[in-house]
Amino acid sequence: MNDASVFDELPGDLMIWVLIVSELLVFGAGLAAFLAVRITDPAGFATAQDALHRSGAGLNTVVLITPGALAAWALRLHEGARRGAARLALVAAALLGVVFLAVKSAEYAGKAADGIAWDTHPFFTFYYLLTGFHAAHVLAGVIVLLLVAWQDEARNIEAGAAFWHMVDLVWVLLFPVIYLLR
Amino acid sequence: MTVLLRDPLLRAWGVLLGLSLGSTALSLRPWPTELAAPAGAVILTLAWLKARVILARYLGLAAAPSWRRGFDLALALFCLLLLGLYLLPLAV
Repeated sequence: MNDASVFDELPGDLMIWVLIVSELLVFGAGLAAFLAVRITDPAGFATAQDALHRSGAGLNTVVLITPGALAAWALRLHEGARRGAARLALVAAALLGVVFLAVKSAEYAGKAADGIAWDTHPFFTFYYLLTGFHAAHVLAGVIVLLLVAWQDEARNIEAGAAFWHMVDLVWVLLFPVIYLLR
Repeated sequence: MTVLLRDPLLRAWGVLLGLSLGSTALSLRPWPTELAAPAGAVILTLAWLKARVILARYLGLAAAPSWRRGFDLALALFCLLLLGLYLLPLAV
């Protein structure tokens, strides 16, 4: 008898996949709701979106994507018995996460200085809700990366890296919808 | 250099970088209304491609083809839903 489950084929821990699918569903519902509400006022959404800094957000996307590569390299380095280099890669990844959060904070501060709040327009309600919730995940990701750099068993690094990849995955869907679709 | 380019992790990072900067560049100038549909389709296709790279190369689904196909299909349908919602104001 073959006891192999279809879940055995999934790389890594099953629970991280449950988390990934849950997060995709939550953010996916938020993005679909954003575009559904936009139908009622496309001109207002376009004007509000023009207050965002598209190229700055594009560069911040590069900042967010790079830790994913570093975390993946960290796992490979650890598997190759280069424990110190793996830890360094994880700390560098966490630092880039902090840079992303600093740029995001500056973005929010700029909006506040321009008198833009969450209730200025429905666009900004979704903008703050979705990007803020994502930023909370980035903060959690930074903490997780630092934790797995400290407790650096291969299994921990794999789970920490997977968490960061989930944060990247959400952003590559969120970024074009909020910032780029005019 | 060639060795670096052959590295799947580095290649995935480069592809993600290129796709992200490409989609940003596409939206830096306003689009005429008649280009909204193709531009939106291109931007969401690039988003789907980026998601595929992360799932396959970083999350390891390249080694689990049936799961990879499932995720690819679900995300493609989701991006089509987003494209439909984005284009709806143009149709009404």
